[in-house]
Amino acid sequence: MRAHALAAAALLATVVATSVGAQSAAPPDLSGSWAPYRGGRGADPKLAAPPATEILLKGDYKKSWDARRVAEAEANKKGEPLATPAVECVPYGFPRMMSVALYPIEILPSAKQVTIITEAFSEVRRVYMNEKQQPIDEVPPGYYGHSVGRWEGDTLVIDTVGIKESIWSYQNMPHSDRMRITERLRLVAPDYLHDQITIEDPVALEKPVTYTLAYKRLPNYKMVEFVCENNREYTDANGAVKLRLK
Amino acid sequence: MSRQVALWAVIGTLVVGAVQLDAHHSFAMFDTQNRVTLTGTVSKFQWTNPHAYIEIDVPAEGGAPAKHWTVELGSPSILMQGGWKFSDVKPNQTITVVLNPLRNGDPAGLLVRITLADGRVLANGPGPTGGN
Repeated sequence: MRAHALAAAALLATVVATSVGAQSAAPPDLSGSWAPYRGGRGADPKLAAPPATEILLKGDYKKSWDARRVAEAEANKKGEPLATPAVECVPYGFPRMMSVALYPIEILPSAKQVTIITEAFSEVRRVYMNEKQQPIDEVPPGYYGHSVGRWEGDTLVIDTVGIKESIWSYQNMPHSDRMRITERLRLVAPDYLHDQITIEDPVALEKPVTYTLAYKRLPNYKMVEFVCENNREYTDANGAVKLRLK
Repeated sequence: MSRQVALWAVIGTLVVGAVQLDAHHSFAMFDTQNRVTLTGTVSKFQWTNPHAYIEIDVPAEGGAPAKHWTVELGSPSILMQGGWKFSDVKPNQTITVVLNPLRNGDPAGLLVRITLADGRVLANGPGPTGGN
């Protein structure tokens, strides 16, 4: 009788342990809307994004990036800022779409696909879960490339290749068609998400660049539609932003 | 802490924290060191992306024709974060706007704040640039 009771207790313990184990193995809930989070005075430093690593571009990539930055500074000083593609309503593409001003993003996880929708310009990324990444040369170059994802414990790891060379990368960096971007998304607190982004590009970069975007959960937020239309701003013959007056 | 000080604290946080973020474009075409205050009649309110616009006719002194101004705002999403509604401005209403004028002298500017026809005061979104 006592043996039976012990056996039953052992069985129960196993069932409980298994069920707790299964729960802890379930991926954290990233679903919902997230606003860029900057921390600020008095905020817990663990919740804000850690500093980015240095950008070291190679040869012509460095020359073109430096030249653009000098031209931008001069144009701003004259009060005639250079237009960016977004002035002409061209979407940002990945990775810049992940951090546009104060605009939230929305994450829609499912078993086979994690979908990320940005409010600015309504851009959409589809991350195919537990699939093998395609060779870069098999991916048609585009704004969002081809993304595959997997859970490593509590971290969603996303691998992206196939971003079109004409699309500016982080900090408006140029890049080659060899660029590969690895993201590690993790809740650093129940309502704070970090997306650690590492850009590898052996053709354009001396060494990989890593930066982190921090987000805060927006409970019950309803994403606002954003169709870039009827643009009053335009790019003039000198490449500057101008405002069409009525 | 006065409202003014609180506002500047918010602005400081946004400016310091904005390093990693991409902006729609530079705001260098506007003279952010100067402000113009205009009271006039709304002829059009455009609730569009990537920017909303208010067209306003400002009466001139001595019977001269009213001067037309174009006011650039943030986007609807950013304005909504600052408490705006698409119906807050309507044609024929009298409003007062504070602007950073265009540096090239054309009669247009970037909204800093507005006093609506019903007396409510709104900024250009939750931050100093409307987040664009």
